[in-house]
Amino acid sequence: MSFEFFLKEAWTGFRRAGVMSLVSLVIITVSLTVFGTFLLAIFNLGTMVSSVGSKMEVAAYVDKQIDDYTGNTLMLELSKIEGVEKVKFIHRDEAWAAFKKDYEGRLELGDIVKENPLPNAFVIKVKSPDLVAIVAKKVSNMPQIDEVRFSGNLADRLNKLLEAVRLAGFILVTLLIMATLLIVVNTIRLTVLSRQTDIYIMKLVGATNSFIKWPFILEGIIIGVAGSCVSVIILKFSYDLVSSRIAAALPFIPLITSKAALFWIYSGVAALGILLGIIGAYISVNAQLKESV
Amino acid sequence: MIALTSVSKVYPNGVEALSGVDLYIGKEEFLFVVGPTGSGKSTLLKMLYREELPTSGQVSVDRINIGELKPAQVPFLRRNIGVVFQDYKLLPLRTVYENVAFALRVLGASRTQIRRQTTQVLDLVGLLKKANCLPGELSGGEQQRTCIARAIVNNPPLLIADEPTGNLDPATSWEIIQLLDKINKRHTTVIVATHNKAIVDGMRKRVIALESGRIIRDQQLGVYSNVL
Repeated sequence: MSFEFFLKEAWTGFRRAGVMSLVSLVIITVSLTVFGTFLLAIFNLGTMVSSVGSKMEVAAYVDKQIDDYTGNTLMLELSKIEGVEKVKFIHRDEAWAAFKKDYEGRLELGDIVKENPLPNAFVIKVKSPDLVAIVAKKVSNMPQIDEVRFSGNLADRLNKLLEAVRLAGFILVTLLIMATLLIVVNTIRLTVLSRQTDIYIMKLVGATNSFIKWPFILEGIIIGVAGSCVSVIILKFSYDLVSSRIAAALPFIPLITSKAALFWIYSGVAALGILLGIIGAYISVNAQLKESV
Repeated sequence: MIALTSVSKVYPNGVEALSGVDLYIGKEEFLFVVGPTGSGKSTLLKMLYREELPTSGQVSVDRINIGELKPAQVPFLRRNIGVVFQDYKLLPLRTVYENVAFALRVLGASRTQIRRQTTQVLDLVGLLKKANCLPGELSGGEQQRTCIARAIVNNPPLLIADEPTGNLDPATSWEIIQLLDKINKRHTTVIVATHNKAIVDGMRKRVIALESGRIIRDQQLGVYSNVL
């Protein structure tokens, strides 16, 4: 009964504030979309960084087939290098199987490559990041090793990028949240002002303050929910589009595609929208109620 | 029922609206408050439902000291007081029925309770046939009846009317006062602030005369003015 009453009052308020309601809806949508974009960027960069691997690894490749004996000797030699913590051997067949499994359905490798093109690999774990380059140099000087790669630089740069995106996102989102709050506060204030008589009458006949507040808070929730819906739809469609393009063009870039992960990101966006609506309405209605009897 | 003890009110702009007012009003009394504009009538009434607080002195309604009431308790005081205004203060986009029902609705009354009490009170004020009209479609007297219906729909023991006939012609004014008298006879205390000499003289009820914030006369079966 009461809830029905509140909802009707809130909807009337939303409609009467007209243009202002629309403006706050647009602003809240824009803020949420930017927030969601940063969230998606940060999470994707995060997975990229972790897939590029720990910064403290060096990979050494041996192209030709090696028997167990040479393999073991090499491993022993590698682990003797100063600064090396652990060495792991990955046989080329093992790597090939893993690779095929990874790209199953995305690339029809079997059609293109019949034979295993991958080398044998030693993954060398180094004790500290600053030793990576030195260890890599030493390993590359060994005659049996054909090629050395270490992801230190790339991981480092990705990490720096991630930090920068996080910081920029944080600043931008904070500013947008403040702007959004301001707009929502003003929108609700318009409704409150246009309903001074209603509020006065409610107070005189003995309605409690919390009762009077509800329709306005609900109006804030309506704005928040509407903004969230629009922004999640925008985010979902653009992310699906962009990520499918990237997956097609650059299949080795690991993107978040898991439905559950995306669901949580979108839920976060929606929750923020509703929260902004509630907080904005609360601030506004509290300020206004204090002024009246 | 109502007791004011050396009540004074000075507004922030320095105007002294009431000074040293002592007044006792018993249960089920009918009381006129008269006096020129600016004599403090409205301030006196507003203190009873705590729209204003006294600068000094004590106001108590039903033995409750209003000055000590916490903000959260104020709504419960007001549920026991009906207020009628000169300008009616009706919600223009709601029908007569909705305006009256609104007062019950914000108190969380049930649907059946709202329907029963609203219908009863509209019958009492003679507006049952106009229940579905908007305030704009009513005459001044009918709008005032709606305002009265809203004020008494939850049966408060006290009804306060500030210039209820201020905007009405003499015949309609008389009808409104008759209605207030009828409500008084149903065991409701009624306090009416008014300028209307004919009505006060015609009713012969208790009269309090205010001048510059002081009570200059308190008379049973009184008249508007002793000076002829």
